[in-house]
Amino acid sequence: MWAASLAILYGFNHNLLPGSTNLSPYSTTLVSGFLAVISVNIVIVFYIFMAMREPADKHVPDPKFLAEAKASMKQSTGESQQPNKPIKKQD
Amino acid sequence: MDAMSSSAMLSEASSWSRALVKISPYTFSAVGIAISIGVSVLGAAWGIYITGSSLIGAAIKEPRITSKNLISVIFCEAVAIYGVIVAIILQTKLESVPQASIYAPESLRAGYAIFASGIIVGFANLVCGLCVGIIGSSCALSDAQNSTLFVKILVIEIFGSALGLFGVIVGIIMSAQASWPSKV
Repeated sequence: MWAASLAILYGFNHNLLPGSTNLSPYSTTLVSGFLAVISVNIVIVFYIFMAMREPADKHVPDPKFLAEAKASMKQSTGESQQPNKPIKKQD
Repeated sequence: MDAMSSSAMLSEASSWSRALVKISPYTFSAVGIAISIGVSVLGAAWGIYITGSSLIGAAIKEPRITSKNLISVIFCEAVAIYGVIVAIILQTKLESVPQASIYAPESLRAGYAIFASGIIVGFANLVCGLCVGIIGSSCALSDAQNSTLFVKILVIEIFGSALGLFGVIVGIIMSAQASWPSKV
């Protein structure tokens, strides 16, 4: 992700890219900096595009985990009904 | 008595200002570069751990959210990359000047420009990373509940990510005019 931006900065500072030799230091800094930031944003847009394309139904929760979770929920609701009876008997 | 105390106060004020001016511009530049990368990475790491822990926890029940919500982590990572880019640009701006012109106004201006650029970028990226991290965490949790909310919350994240971008733009423009006196 960072490789493109670092390559652009390196290319501008060592005059590897065509057209980068004639710029003043002021322009070199501006152009190289903005191109590097734009390249990072292009990579981000590409990742967003790839992420939105993935189908949502590809991943399914682990069925063993789901079964255990449902069983523990039923067990906790079953236990909550029992403590009421001894309190009423004491009255 | 009053004249003595006022002259003592004046000499104290001038010694403080003298102390500030006598700090080498190299020191200011080095601290600016350190802040630009160090504080940016602090913001990015903070955002990633806030988002990542919510994402991993919510993905136990709803694994479908993992691939889309990695976008939040990518936005936080981009904040760190902005800090790296500006630190590299500032490093290329460092030059050594002859001993005689180290406190020349042009040298001081260059040192202050690099320092300011580093502070601008560092702290803008710090708050941007924090913002995107908290929004990304809420995005993961709400996407797990209701997948139609994801795109709307992504718009909020894009606005938050723009804060870091503003800091980087101003920092780059600030550093572009950091020119040291020529060696003659």
